[in-house]
Amino acid sequence: MAVNRGTGTGVEQDGAEPIELLACGRDAAQVWDHAARSELDEHERGCPHCAAAGADARTLDRLVHRMAAEPLAPPPSVMDQVMGAVLAELRPPDLLSLASPYGPARLSRPAAAAVLRHVVDRVGGMQARSCRIAPLAEAGGTGPTAVLVAMTVTAQFGVDLASVSARVRQLLVAAGEQALGIPVCRVDIDIVDVFDDTTPRGNRS
Amino acid sequence: MSSPEPAVRFLVGPVLVARVAAQRACRVPGVAGLRPDLAQALLGFAGSVLGQDRDRLPSGGVAATVDGGRAQVALTIVTWLGHNCRDLAQAVQREVGEAVTDYTGLEVQVQVTIADVLLGDRDPQERDRMQSAQSPPPGVR
Repeated sequence: MAVNRGTGTGVEQDGAEPIELLACGRDAAQVWDHAARSELDEHERGCPHCAAAGADARTLDRLVHRMAAEPLAPPPSVMDQVMGAVLAELRPPDLLSLASPYGPARLSRPAAAAVLRHVVDRVGGMQARSCRIAPLAEAGGTGPTAVLVAMTVTAQFGVDLASVSARVRQLLVAAGEQALGIPVCRVDIDIVDVFDDTTPRGNRS
Repeated sequence: MSSPEPAVRFLVGPVLVARVAAQRACRVPGVAGLRPDLAQALLGFAGSVLGQDRDRLPSGGVAATVDGGRAQVALTIVTWLGHNCRDLAQAVQREVGEAVTDYTGLEVQVQVTIADVLLGDRDPQERDRMQSAQSPPPGVR
């Protein structure tokens, strides 16, 4: 920048912050204004300090116009964050209580259901469809609230339904405690359909 | 003879409490991030586009109130699958409560809501620990 702040040639204006003048004694702001209007006087056209200030003004002007012409491109994650916040705002809060000695702690019920569906999807022979988690009434009122898990699944054609269901039940109870920190006291599994393992997953109804 | 130093009183505002809480919560292992509400998300969106407030600590996902010597902090966090949600919530409550109390002197109650559990990618910190545990130390063959 051509504005010289080290010369000590500041001028007080009505008690405001002193204006730093160029080495030639001109006010850089006025030189910028003249350069923007292409109205440089004789001194400003010949003075190297004013010429440098004018060049700064033109460079800044080009930069500003170039940036103003660029389309705004927010980071890709911003839209996801905003949409997530909008959806969260629209949905009523659906939360499960977590046991904590430090104060209220809660877990989103849809998030907990997604975890349990994910666990079941990783079991061979079963695919989760829906998952409903309902808190049961606390027995003593002090411990964590146990929950009932009701899940609908589809089974691979030919698997032993009883043994796979038992395995899924065990996994859900374990996942409730280990992944969520919520005791699962009851698991209901509805096997609503069968699928052929050779059918691509996206084509299953 | 020197005059006695004047007593100093300071009041802590809720924005400060929120920023301290957000800073500490993000450092608790298992916290993938904070989930801002709609107003905070829109403000963050505007700030990122306009390039403002780059030197301020973020406070999205945290709501704080201060009343006298007590503060209430509500955090909404996101975690990865593999961290026990109950244990994580307790850890966040403990760590954030201690951090805010240590910094401000306020008595703090921390409320934690886990809004989401990320299933796709595992915790990068955990993944790095697993990889370093599996790879032999330098010089060992």
